[in-house]
Amino acid sequence: MSDVPFKNPGWAGNTGEFHLTEEQVRGKDFVGERPKHAGHASGSATMPYMLPEKNPDAKLFEGDYQERFEKILSRYPTKQAALLPALGLAQELRGYVSPESMDRIAELLDLSPAYVRGVATFYTMYNKRPVGRYLVQVCTNISCNLCGADEVRDTFLSQTDTELGETSTDGNFTVIEAECLAGCGFPTCVQINSEYFENVTPDEVPKILEHLKRRGGS
Amino acid sequence: MAYPYVSDREVRILSKYFGDPKQRRIDTYVKRGGYGGLKKALGMAPGEVVDTVKASGLRGRGGAGFPTGVKWSFMPKDTGRPHYLICNADESEPGTFKDRELIRWDPHQLIEGCLIGAHAIGAQHVYIYCRGEFFETTQVLAKALEDAYAKGYVGEDILGSGIKIDITVHLGAGAYICGEETGLMNSLEGRRGQPRVKPPFPAAVGAFGMPSTINNVETLSIIPHIVTNGGDWYRQWGTEKSPGTKLFCVSGHVNKPGNYELPLGFPLIDLIEDVCGGMRGGKALKAVIPGGSSVPIINAEEARACSLDYEGCVAVGTMLGCASVIVMDETTEIVKQVRRMVDFYAHESCGQCTPCREGSAWTAKMMRRIEEGRGTEDDLDTLMEVTQQMVGTTICVLSDSVAAPVQSSINKFRDEYLALIRRGERVGAA
Repeated sequence: MSDVPFKNPGWAGNTGEFHLTEEQVRGKDFVGERPKHAGHASGSATMPYMLPEKNPDAKLFEGDYQERFEKILSRYPTKQAALLPALGLAQELRGYVSPESMDRIAELLDLSPAYVRGVATFYTMYNKRPVGRYLVQVCTNISCNLCGADEVRDTFLSQTDTELGETSTDGNFTVIEAECLAGCGFPTCVQINSEYFENVTPDEVPKILEHLKRRGGS
Repeated sequence: MAYPYVSDREVRILSKYFGDPKQRRIDTYVKRGGYGGLKKALGMAPGEVVDTVKASGLRGRGGAGFPTGVKWSFMPKDTGRPHYLICNADESEPGTFKDRELIRWDPHQLIEGCLIGAHAIGAQHVYIYCRGEFFETTQVLAKALEDAYAKGYVGEDILGSGIKIDITVHLGAGAYICGEETGLMNSLEGRRGQPRVKPPFPAAVGAFGMPSTINNVETLSIIPHIVTNGGDWYRQWGTEKSPGTKLFCVSGHVNKPGNYELPLGFPLIDLIEDVCGGMRGGKALKAVIPGGSSVPIINAEEARACSLDYEGCVAVGTMLGCASVIVMDETTEIVKQVRRMVDFYAHESCGQCTPCREGSAWTAKMMRRIEEGRGTEDDLDTLMEVTQQMVGTTICVLSDSVAAPVQSSINKFRDEYLALIRRGERVGAA
């Protein structure tokens, strides 16, 4: 699928090598594979993805998403506890959590719109405005920083021709700094949508970006 | 096996199958003795399981080091109300990367630990609270959990024992403070993740107002091994007060960063020079943070005297925390790194208590001013004074965590601050 060497030892199984192709990384029988729209209520349903293709006008919680939403509700003793997963689902569909999404969720969970707004703005992973197809989060915390995370971040910014937090003109990339991604032993750690890229160096940034552009909307 | 790096000085119990993707499959896990601890635990009374864990001397691996068995024994019995066990997988302390490895390499080990823990405290439902960034990690966990449900290890009437335990994976949404136990409970309930005032403690009033216990991923992952082999078996490693093995997350300027499972009490300097293959590029050691960014920095001399257990770290003026060893060589700009840590805390402060909300923001501003060469010598005194007022004055310890790197770095690396302030010189800059 790609000639970009992924440096993510966790997904390929242990080959003792950091340089892996995407096929090696994900493989055909990747044991973590799960159905995108349902699965067992204990896990899959509550977990959102960050998808490249976003539809800000998508209907909330219909069809498969309705099923997921109901599974989520069934796992908690209170309706309110479904708030975080529900916001995650809305973001998966629409790419960000818009005021309309928050109002709709408030209605569904019998909460006040102001309360939902208060919670949604507390958490950094809910995008309060639209982001690019790929949200690039570069960890610049101490462990990555000691190993040159600032240069990786700057390279992402210069290669995508953006400022921190802005979206590139082609709508592809939004680059932000992340607070520790828990990949400190594999610096620099970068999360792009739902995927981790580990041991990223500035020279690899153009290859990663090129790969993402070519991959399109998968 | 060569999971990114291994050392023959390790004692690999938790991390035995790191690097082996087959371990994620339930049939392999069972073939290798998995769920044996669960079978044994289900045949024991809950009190016996608690006693076994007490006997092992296991201390919580989330940072505070509170004895796990004792914590479990705080749970009330026969209340007739639901009890909850919560697994804290909101790993976000800078420098820590063990829980993600434990989940993605050995998800069933954690599930088994959760089930035994739930049985011991009489919980019917376990919530595994993972941080929101763990998309990939939780895919592995969700798949493992579905398999475990399908095979009857989780759910109604587990292995014909009549015991019902459900497990739900819950994702956070990017807030460091949700790693604090009561903040996590608020977050789980669909609130802002602001820590609660204690008491009441979670064992009395926890998640959803019910008795709850919260344990770290690493704590729960070792439980199946302790139940299978007994408490005394675990005491063969480590020290009297800190028994057992611990995952050490080593990052920064070493040749072989990574997770190493070592007996507690291991000398820090051996970890750096032997296990991790020494300093990168043969540079000299300058400073170490032995327990994640929330604990005081120690200099090279203190590092040489430090043994990695809860008491050994306190003896050199720092803490073991969650054993996230961040190693810095002579080229490190201490002021810049401390500024980055303070920025982190200023960003993650939940804003509930004034000393933390204001203190972290102002500390961050002062640190940036110094780093940019616009600081004065008075700033150092002001920093010490401001951070002093942030210690012990708030609901949780996030505020104390801001003070630790600032105060310890000013005490131990004052020359570097002064060089920047007086002459604009960046000590250590390459």
